[in-house]
Amino acid sequence: MSDFKIHHREGEGVNVLELKGYLDAHTAPDLENAFQQLLNEKRYRIVVNFKDLSYISSAGLGVFMAYIEDVRKNKGDIKLTNMTPKVYNVFDLLGFPILYEIYKDEKEAIGKFKDGKKQ
Amino acid sequence: MSRLKRIISLLVPVIVFPSVFFYDVIRANVDLELTSVSVIREFAVVVAFFAIYYYIEGRKPRLSKAIPREIGKLFVISFSVLTVAGMVTLVPNPQGALAEFLSIPLVIILGIASILTLLTARDLVLHKRKKGTKRNFVILMALLLTTCVVNTSLLAIDRLLTTGLFVVAIVFVVINSFRQSWIVYLSRREKLYCIVYTALLFFTNVFLSVLVTNTSAVNKLISSFSSPLHTFIQLNAILAAVYFGMAFISTLFHLPTAEVFERKQSELTSLHNLSRLITQVFDFNDLLNTVTQMTLEVCGAGTSWLELVQPSGDDRHISVNVVARRNITTEQIERLIGGTTPSLRQVMVQTKKVSLIDDILSDRRTKHMKQNAQLKGSMLSVPLISHEELIGILHATKEMEYGFDQDDIDVLTTFADHVTIAIENSKLIAKSIERERLHQELMVAQRMQKRLLPQSVPNFPSVDIAAVSESSMEVGGDYYDFVQLTEGRFGIVVGDVSGKGVSAAFYMAEVKGIFLSLSKLCSSPRELLVRANETLMNSLERNAFVSLIYVMVDTKHASMVLARAGHCPVVYISSEGYELVRPTGLGLGLTNGSLFEESTEERKIRLKLGDICIFYTDGITESRDKKGDEYGYDRLVKTAVAAKNLDACRIKDAILNDVRTFTGDTVYGDDMTLVILKWLGN
Repeated sequence: MSDFKIHHREGEGVNVLELKGYLDAHTAPDLENAFQQLLNEKRYRIVVNFKDLSYISSAGLGVFMAYIEDVRKNKGDIKLTNMTPKVYNVFDLLGFPILYEIYKDEKEAIGKFKDGKKQ
Repeated sequence: MSRLKRIISLLVPVIVFPSVFFYDVIRANVDLELTSVSVIREFAVVVAFFAIYYYIEGRKPRLSKAIPREIGKLFVISFSVLTVAGMVTLVPNPQGALAEFLSIPLVIILGIASILTLLTARDLVLHKRKKGTKRNFVILMALLLTTCVVNTSLLAIDRLLTTGLFVVAIVFVVINSFRQSWIVYLSRREKLYCIVYTALLFFTNVFLSVLVTNTSAVNKLISSFSSPLHTFIQLNAILAAVYFGMAFISTLFHLPTAEVFERKQSELTSLHNLSRLITQVFDFNDLLNTVTQMTLEVCGAGTSWLELVQPSGDDRHISVNVVARRNITTEQIERLIGGTTPSLRQVMVQTKKVSLIDDILSDRRTKHMKQNAQLKGSMLSVPLISHEELIGILHATKEMEYGFDQDDIDVLTTFADHVTIAIENSKLIAKSIERERLHQELMVAQRMQKRLLPQSVPNFPSVDIAAVSESSMEVGGDYYDFVQLTEGRFGIVVGDVSGKGVSAAFYMAEVKGIFLSLSKLCSSPRELLVRANETLMNSLERNAFVSLIYVMVDTKHASMVLARAGHCPVVYISSEGYELVRPTGLGLGLTNGSLFEESTEERKIRLKLGDICIFYTDGITESRDKKGDEYGYDRLVKTAVAAKNLDACRIKDAILNDVRTFTGDTVYGDDMTLVILKWLGN
């Protein structure tokens, strides 16, 4: 049940974290480490792809909150994409769509980063 | 031996010997020869001696540990008897009444001494017996007995046969005298004693055997008194001379190995003691002290100390502390193994291998000790390794250079393994005690937290309320409360702190404090949420947040206003149907300032008779069954609608039962809170 995997990809200056499985209090530290590593390497353009994430708990949500401020301070962002309706509902209940950019598709999110660059 | 037997075995000689004495005196003075009476006399004497033998055997304790002392005692007895016998030889040709007078006590003391010698020899021969040992000894005894009996003057037996039997008996004496296994188990000191005693016993018995063989007065007196007894005493003296002579030589040969044997034995004992200790010493410090004490015993070291690796998060820097020491000061230890760079200790930590220093003052690693020669000799250090991790180092030093041989290294290494197990074991016990303590603390926390939740449902007019909250762990992050406001109004709050367990419980307590103080100040739910967010933003960790719903019920106007801070929607059931009431609103602690305020909406609902509002935390809707499916809103709504005509408490039970039926045996993973409000009308 506590099976959780993170796959990190990079392309066009954007870092994509693909999440898979269950993100809860037990697995949240894995995601924290992944974010921390990106921040250590000064990579602040982050897209999190939720395509294969089947569950997220409040501890999982907390991870995004813990890093968003630092990322944005460095002119980057964490954009969330490809959520299943169930996962989206959890984010939505808490009002995350007000605070985070949530996209249907990963490409869209990467595109937004590139648009930002042009400006 | 029973009392009766003892008395009989004493009574027999007491009756026999005086009778024999009188008979002898009479016979000496009156010329009277009665063969049949002589046979009876001879027989009675032998029986009396059997009785004495039986009596002594029953009284004499078996040889156990203090063998040298027993042999020493035997020597004293034998020597005294020899002295008495020697004095008798000084009496020139005793005859008549004097001879009778002398012979009986002489025979008795010599006989008793012989019996004692025989019994001691028996115990020594049979010590750590092997197959055949007992058989050989029984044959010897049988031969002794037969030789004695056939030597009686009453039977005219061929001299060749008696001599032959005598020779065979001597052969078996020699065979039995090779059984000297008791010597091996003596300590060096005991062996030294034994050398002296066995030598003395050898000479005593040689003299004795000479005395009872040659033409001395003693020989004459005894053989004329009873020739079987004479043979017995004679054979016994030879047996003792041969056996103790042999024992003397064996002990002499065993002496050089005595120390080694002794040490091996003490090593074994120490190892054995320690393995017993493992299960007995619960106190960690006691264990450490015992370990150093046993190190001294195990390898005969002069000093010993134990160092343990202190747990720390940093793998690169391992700190090792002396936790117990014997006969050495901390300063000496530091000078000895911490004085160089890299220090001996650091090297041990890195290599995790046994380190042997044969000569402290000349070894490259410890040469610096020369400056202050408080410590010299040799040092052996053995790592304690558990699961391939170094947990400590055990050190021992001897004052002698080259003091540790391969045996010491092997023994101390084995010992170190036992120590490792003992220490790990003790740590585990300590851990489990600590765990138990923490559990108790958590239980206290649980009781405290239960008191933070309403102890009973308030009795507000026009409403029927039921509530329940269950934690998945000892303590949880769910919160609900009721507050009485002015002008017929009251408030209900249901909240959920992110995460679980102790951290959530602390925030929950904080939320309660904030809620109670703000509820009296704020006129609207929205205002309360905004101000609560401001307060919580300062105190919550970045990754923590609180979802909360707050509703103010106005009983006078039959209405309620609610605001939602990221919390689960309220299930509102009326006669017209149901609705998931979900005004916009961010969770508390997510963002500060205007964004929160701007995005928080309020919703007003007019209450009609029989309307039901269900407030809950996601523990209800996110409960899972075996397959991993969530309970969800649909099931919640369906169950609530089906139970809508019941009172609040029954609706609560219906929902809880349905959730439990759904989850089955699976342990629910989150805290669950459920508050039901039913409008009864004004």
